[in-house]
Amino acid sequence: MKEKILASLKRLNIEEYFINITSYKSAQMFFIKKSLDTKRAENTISYNVNVFRSFEKAGKQMKGNSSVYIYSGMTDDEIDAAINRAYLAASFVNNPTYELMDPTENKFVTMESDLNDYSLEDCCEKTAEALFAEDNRSDVFINSAEVFAYENKVQLISSTGIDSGYVKRYISGEFVAQCKEPQDVETYKDFRYYTLDTEALKDKVRKTLDYTLERAKATEAPKAGKYRVIISDSYVGEVLGYYPGRAHVGYIYAKYSDYKIGQNIQALDADGEAAEIKGDKVSMRLLPAEPISGEGIWYKEREFMKEGELKTYHGGLRFSRYLGIEPVGDYYRYKVEPGSMSVEDMKKKPYLWVVNFSDFQMDDFTGHFGGEIRLAFLFDGEKVTPVTGGSINGSILESQTNMYLSKETQREADFEGPYAMMFEDVPVAGI
Amino acid sequence: MKVKESEYLKQKKPVLKKLLAKLLDKYEYASILANDSKSVNYRVNKSGTNISEDSTLSERGFVVKVFDNAKAAEYSFNAIEENTIDDVLNEIVSRLNDLGNTLPKGVEAFKYSDIDEEELYINESTEYEVDPEEKGDNNIIELLTRISEKGRSYDERIIDCSVAFNYQKYSKMFISKKKDLTQNVMWSCGYIVTVAKEGEELQNGYKPVSMLGGIEVLDTLEEKLESACNVALDLLKAEPITPGEYECICEPDVTGMIVHEAFGHGVEMDMFVKDRAQAKEFIGKQVASELITMHDGACTIPQVATFFFDDEGVPAHDTIIIDKGILKTGICDDQSAKHLGVKPTGNGRRQDTSRKAYTRMTNTIFEAGSSKLEDMIASIKDGFLLCQASSGMEDPKNWGIQLMVDIAREIKDGKLTGKIYSPIVMTGYVPDLLKSISMISDKIEAGGTGYCGKGYKEWVKVSDGGPYIKARIRLG
Repeated sequence: MKEKILASLKRLNIEEYFINITSYKSAQMFFIKKSLDTKRAENTISYNVNVFRSFEKAGKQMKGNSSVYIYSGMTDDEIDAAINRAYLAASFVNNPTYELMDPTENKFVTMESDLNDYSLEDCCEKTAEALFAEDNRSDVFINSAEVFAYENKVQLISSTGIDSGYVKRYISGEFVAQCKEPQDVETYKDFRYYTLDTEALKDKVRKTLDYTLERAKATEAPKAGKYRVIISDSYVGEVLGYYPGRAHVGYIYAKYSDYKIGQNIQALDADGEAAEIKGDKVSMRLLPAEPISGEGIWYKEREFMKEGELKTYHGGLRFSRYLGIEPVGDYYRYKVEPGSMSVEDMKKKPYLWVVNFSDFQMDDFTGHFGGEIRLAFLFDGEKVTPVTGGSINGSILESQTNMYLSKETQREADFEGPYAMMFEDVPVAGI
Repeated sequence: MKVKESEYLKQKKPVLKKLLAKLLDKYEYASILANDSKSVNYRVNKSGTNISEDSTLSERGFVVKVFDNAKAAEYSFNAIEENTIDDVLNEIVSRLNDLGNTLPKGVEAFKYSDIDEEELYINESTEYEVDPEEKGDNNIIELLTRISEKGRSYDERIIDCSVAFNYQKYSKMFISKKKDLTQNVMWSCGYIVTVAKEGEELQNGYKPVSMLGGIEVLDTLEEKLESACNVALDLLKAEPITPGEYECICEPDVTGMIVHEAFGHGVEMDMFVKDRAQAKEFIGKQVASELITMHDGACTIPQVATFFFDDEGVPAHDTIIIDKGILKTGICDDQSAKHLGVKPTGNGRRQDTSRKAYTRMTNTIFEAGSSKLEDMIASIKDGFLLCQASSGMEDPKNWGIQLMVDIAREIKDGKLTGKIYSPIVMTGYVPDLLKSISMISDKIEAGGTGYCGKGYKEWVKVSDGGPYIKARIRLG
């Protein structure tokens, strides 16, 4: 099919293009309690062709593009028709011109992982085994689970000479823990690893079962008011993901964000003015999630923030070219330096530690974060009480100069950094 | 005009039938779902123009479902020719045999007892007025550009106005020993998102349109522009609300979010199978005000989740879930129905052929009542009109509400004061909210520009809506 697509592009005299060929293989298992309900396997391939067209409009040089999917079994005539339609559409896409990526180095990379040592079916089964290894308690149990093992094989071909690719494997899934007494409650958790990290998964299951037991005891919502709020686990990465979100070239070019390189972005208040940072200063690095971007940009680990100061934007080719900066690609994996306080230090004064939300939202647009509390531990200075209900309604713009990161760390597929973070005076809607 | 059947699926049908015959020689049950779907996104904002096929909704693919010794298994693929039928068959048998051989201690494969099916033939198409492909990309982009530029010049604080259109045209075919089903469907959506900025704060206004049909959906989009701009600007001066329980009126999109997120997910019966839904214990009991009748179904209303059969070959239904406040039934996919010993309701849906089918909502609504909106507002002494639903999360187990709306417009002594509060989190216990509904308006509005996930994945197109409702709601 690759040759058919290239021949079609030649027939149609299309000079600039980018082809992304991805084959997807997976093994999937779906469990209801201790019963395998369904098993699935997948073997598909996708051909995406992005065509570019240069033209002049109102005296300005433009470059439009449009993408189309080509499917196995298409005839030459069908491929020509599909690509030609995309090429015509590209002439209506009025974007200022920019240069496509030139190849810096053509190579095919298999991402290192112990998952490569097994078949996908074995990876799926070993993950399921780890998941159920902790499910041996009488008071709390795994209600249901889904386990997936994936292999994505990507090949990128461009008119500029790029011919590179990679093979990436990962496991992912989700599970629901349930406790029936003293009240019937559940906790949802998902997971994703680039290695066969069965110990991390077992730890996650164990903690989730523990928290679910605590939630079964929680009956009261916290009283409405302002609290020292601690969040932990994946919520830390979600909140800190605000900074890469606002430093994306799409936000910068559109002027949604005024972040400037060298500026202390953590010190900005809601009016965009600089304030003093009283809490921990954020230092963050961007990590590659795959070797090369869909536009042919090779990823590498990059310094993103140093003690609150922005070191680089990130994002795709077009907006980077418009801004006149080096295109580094879109990053969604982060590594954050641990902070100054241990979790025990955070818990020395009264706090509300939310360990599980029903749905946590971090809004890059407004800076608001929060969600409904599924389980939190409330320390009033004397005793710790599990609470449930009510909601957190924080704003990073109001909290970022006075937030603290834990010394303890966590490692997930797309976030490495503090296990917990703490904010002062966060509004909580409760009883 | 009726949406045409896919030539690709017509051409593949004989090949797939041969594969099916070979599968039926090996397995006690086999079916094949084939999908030929094209979806194109158009978007214009100040950053540029985009025309691209939607990577989630565009596909040509197949999924085989078998019951092997009463155990359920599936295989997804997207390439087959006359001369590769045996290769595909061998791959299916081999990959499915290799999976699940080593199960964790204490885990066994579930065996289904009732895998029979009834004879069924369907060949249906939905209708449209103007096919987006015939309208032409140039004309579509021209219209979106005009609206976007007008929005960006509305006020200097409006820093962007994104205007978008997308459609999906698909043909699906389901074949098994006793079923031969084909459907051809097209839906279309459009929306305006305005972005207003002051300091580091960004706010947005959102106005959507959606329908079962073609590009005629855009006929009413431009008239919503002013409102989208004003909402974003209003939000810049919004204040945080004092948490508490208030008399509220919900706009139809907020009603839709309550219908869908707060209650609808709780009656998805795959959750009954897992004992994850409180609704299972409430069948036949009052869960809402007597004013409330709730429907879900692919043939409930003509909207973006309308179809003729689901992804497991079950005909579309119009299911009455709540009848005058009493919970009558849930909605159910075929496999969950086998677990529960009930009839499926045509709600088995997949994101695409590489994904499993789950119980999913379709078009979900509350029926209209008899009140007038102005009378509803006049009846409130101290409360809010809740507008612009933004996000929600289900909690079938505990019927906890977590819904976010962008705007609460203050009502004092029966009149809107012009003061607004944001952001707003709606919390509480679902039956308490539904039982507190005391007035509902005489018209319903439904929309479906968004997608519904199962947990945090498995996105499918849904619509929801209803009338304006008046209820007591805890806001934060």
